[in-house]
Amino acid sequence: MAEHHPVSDSKHKSSLNSGASYSGNGRSSTAVAERGSNAGAGGGGLSGGLSQPAGWQSLLSFTILFLAWLAGFSSRLFAVIRFESIIHEFDPWFNYRSTHHLTTNGFYEFLNWFDERAWYPLGRIVGGTVYPGLMVTAGLIHYVLNLLHITVHIRDVCVFLAPVFSGLTSISTFLLTKELWNQGAGLLAACFIAIVPGYISRSVAGSFDNEGIAIFALQFTYYLWVKSVKTGSVFWTIGCCLSYFYMVSAWGGYVFIINLIPLHVFVLLLMQRFSRRVYIAYSTFYIIGLVLSMQIPFVGFQPIRTSEHMAAAGVFVLLQVYAFLQYLKDRLTRQEFQTLFFLGVSVAAGVVFLSVIYLTYTGCYAKIHIPIIASVSEHQPTTWVSFFFDLHILVCTFPAGLWFCIKNINDERVFVALYAISAVYFAGVMVRLMLTLTPVVCMLSAVAFSSVFEHYLGDDMKRQSPPAEDSSDEDDRKNAGNLYDKAGKVRKHVSEQEKAEEGLGPNIKSIVTMLMLMLLMMFAVHCTWVTSNAYSSPSVVLASYNHDGSRNILDDFREAYYWLRQNTDEHARVMSWWDYGYQIAGMANRTTLVDNNTWNNSHIALVGKAMSSNETAAYEIMRSLDVDYVLIIFGGVIGYSGDDINKFLWMVRIAEGEHPRDIRESDYFTPQGEFRVDKAGSPTLLNCLMYKMSYYRFGEMQLDFRTPPGFDRTRNAEIGNKDIKLKHLEEAFTSEHWLVRIYKVKKLENRDRVEHKLRSTDATKQKYTTKKVSWDFKHWTV
Amino acid sequence: MMEWASKRSVIRMNGDKFRRFVKAPPRNYSMVIMFTALQPQRQCGVCRQADEEFQVLANSWRYSSAFTNKVFFASVDFDEGSDVFQMLNMNSAPTFLHFPSKGKPRRSDTYELQVRGFAAEQLARWVADRTDVQIRVIRPPNYAGPLLLGFLLAVIGGLAYLRRHNLEFLFNKNVWAFSALCFVLIMTSGQMWNHIRGPPYAHKNPSTGQVSYIHGSSQAQFVAETHIVLLFNAAVTMGMVLLCEAATSDMDIGKRKIMCVAGIGLVMLFFSWLLSIFRAKYHGYPYSFLMS
Repeated sequence: MAEHHPVSDSKHKSSLNSGASYSGNGRSSTAVAERGSNAGAGGGGLSGGLSQPAGWQSLLSFTILFLAWLAGFSSRLFAVIRFESIIHEFDPWFNYRSTHHLTTNGFYEFLNWFDERAWYPLGRIVGGTVYPGLMVTAGLIHYVLNLLHITVHIRDVCVFLAPVFSGLTSISTFLLTKELWNQGAGLLAACFIAIVPGYISRSVAGSFDNEGIAIFALQFTYYLWVKSVKTGSVFWTIGCCLSYFYMVSAWGGYVFIINLIPLHVFVLLLMQRFSRRVYIAYSTFYIIGLVLSMQIPFVGFQPIRTSEHMAAAGVFVLLQVYAFLQYLKDRLTRQEFQTLFFLGVSVAAGVVFLSVIYLTYTGCYAKIHIPIIASVSEHQPTTWVSFFFDLHILVCTFPAGLWFCIKNINDERVFVALYAISAVYFAGVMVRLMLTLTPVVCMLSAVAFSSVFEHYLGDDMKRQSPPAEDSSDEDDRKNAGNLYDKAGKVRKHVSEQEKAEEGLGPNIKSIVTMLMLMLLMMFAVHCTWVTSNAYSSPSVVLASYNHDGSRNILDDFREAYYWLRQNTDEHARVMSWWDYGYQIAGMANRTTLVDNNTWNNSHIALVGKAMSSNETAAYEIMRSLDVDYVLIIFGGVIGYSGDDINKFLWMVRIAEGEHPRDIRESDYFTPQGEFRVDKAGSPTLLNCLMYKMSYYRFGEMQLDFRTPPGFDRTRNAEIGNKDIKLKHLEEAFTSEHWLVRIYKVKKLENRDRVEHKLRSTDATKQKYTTKKVSWDFKHWTV
Repeated sequence: MMEWASKRSVIRMNGDKFRRFVKAPPRNYSMVIMFTALQPQRQCGVCRQADEEFQVLANSWRYSSAFTNKVFFASVDFDEGSDVFQMLNMNSAPTFLHFPSKGKPRRSDTYELQVRGFAAEQLARWVADRTDVQIRVIRPPNYAGPLLLGFLLAVIGGLAYLRRHNLEFLFNKNVWAFSALCFVLIMTSGQMWNHIRGPPYAHKNPSTGQVSYIHGSSQAQFVAETHIVLLFNAAVTMGMVLLCEAATSDMDIGKRKIMCVAGIGLVMLFFSWLLSIFRAKYHGYPYSFLMS
């Protein structure tokens, strides 16, 4: 449940008060930028005088790419500078834990790893259920560094892996855009992707997640694919397959590649752009890619079984048939009949292809309605605000790039158009797939900007270089990219440009250039602001700001996890909601019942049922699951909105899905249909285990003189049940700001007491517990 | 009763019929009755939607194989049986009540409309709960989508047939580029969100009568707002294209200058406008350009 999408309410405070630290960082990055632009301007000036501009060209592009890497790397370090070198959020903790396992026990041990500390009592076969690319990459880097006697801890490798790979991503984006359009657009695209928030959101330092390396693999695979379609050489295709193999090992999003490339081939066939190059490239790619992808244990035989891979197989067959018919056509003469035949075949294939797409689409859609998937905040559709927030100016300009690409179509621009259209569709359906849209938006915006600059900047430069140098102070790498453009491109378009020169005149041109550069500058500022405010919080350590700008660090999570680690039995089993499973396993090193790998819905529903039943019923469930401790997150003291009471309705819904007889969502609402924790709240809610554990002894606490005791700051309400008594649980630990509360589950009572005479009557009473409890409640409220 | 039910799945009742069939005690059937106000002058939009769902439910019961005389569905319109409303002390519509075959209706025989909504599936669960009659809701398939698609295909096919001697337009890049742009703009302005979440078109403040087209929070949006954003995005794109056209086309100089100025004007104006809307929605965002 990694909440990447910025929640404006919770980020509000920090966004208002973090101005000071932000401007400091902004300055440092502009300093870097100025250096870059000076180098660029110098190069641009000199290249005119030199007889061999090729050397300057490569020097410039190296410099610009290096600076883009550096800028991308440093803008991802906000979290490390503000907090420390720490793994973020939820999933990264699991990745870190398994990487640690890999480095200490070796690769084969990792592949065979059966983790008995997760999903108690089921356990989890880790080696067969992960994409191992990330762990292997980090482990390899760690191994090489240690071989060179550079001793670093594996944690630091994990923290800095994603920022380093962002540089590789920008280089592969440069290569891909260069193949599609020209070198200038490539450099612009590299600079865009280095700092665009849509990609930074998944690759800040500390977010050690699959996506961080997968976007690099995605872009590089596409680059090699375009290259192999262009050249038709088996060499590039094999490279493409290897890169695809790396992508399969890194991220489940490889399905996007294995559908987009066949789609490209199919559309090329429809456009009658079939050529021997396409035939060679696709046939090689499909066979070798298929064999390689099946080597990953988690993928296994899926590529020949499941529906989302069938499109690739269908296109492969179609291509063979088409090529065979082409061959026949060369031999035979009845062309009329054959063209009809082609038409029939391609229409049939198209229908099959579309129905497959439709099936997968409906499959995805059905998944949206299962509560556990719907409960994850990343699986929501995307509003226009998120598009603008993550892409800023690029989202408005990339349709222009798409326009230019379609107007000047060729084989590889067909590819980028399909890439854009499919990615924008998926990004609209699900917020997290914004990640796959971001690279293509960067590329196409770069095309749009580059073609504007090509016409407006180049000629001004010819006559007077000073204005360009002025503007280069304002914007860094992009400008350098444009200078570069001029050096490379002017020669080709001399005739066109001379015509244009006479018309538009230097004034209009320089105004246009200045305004465009201002837009780009605003983009850079926006990216830094968004990165600093929305995407650089580790969410394991929280920070709050006082009115004078000083900062409080709330380290409750780690405090509680270390308490668990130090004070409980090594094999103690901790029950919590699934969000915290990976963190408990990673930081506290204790056995958990459910975690973020939500593979077993009924197990999660059981935990949800325990949380939402009354204490007696919950005790039964906890006894049957051997629970020793229960951990909950409670934000009522400091006003933390992501706590368990706010997630509680999802627990109820998931529990209701599996146990509709015992749990009903409507019981937790007031008759008016509201979810309230104060006196007006429903009695079932006020007596369920989660409520009791959250507010145990909270009624004695007065936070503020203006509010009554037991005032919940997150929900702004005075709690309705202040006198909470726990029978089967006892409080074991509560962290400094009450953010984490841990309860110990008591053992069964001693035999003496149980054999007491009253026991038989007790047992009969327990049948009516639910009613009884609600009566009790009425006594309390009176 | 059976006759009526076989004629119309929902029996319309007035005061007399209500007293005769529902209030008169010896009955061997239960009634599920919707109290509603469907007359146009009542302006009850919810009633109409609830009525549709109720019809779906009643029809699935009427045409199911398990159809018996155990349950009947009926409706009482306020304008036909206002005395019934008075008799039951009812002051809001729509309301769903269940009258069991034996005994008086209890509290749980009133359907909790606020909590459960009026989807036919929810209603069916409630009916099953009250009467032990399981109804599988069968919605009449929505023919609008396939029909529209068929119509579209027919139009395209017809066009292709009419111009079969000249299939050049299939290779017209402008058409393809334009449709691709349309698709991209539709997606980036969040129409998919509208499709899944179904927000209102705009919000009218009931007290002041002011209509706001922009939702105040960054987590949600109105339909009107997405249309505005779509237009702005399109304007910026058009500005970029105009800028390029101005530099490359071979029209006369005056026209090209105008194109160029118009292009940069479009880009600047609409981008800063978009930025100001974004700023209004995303509280705490510090930057603006030209307009705040």
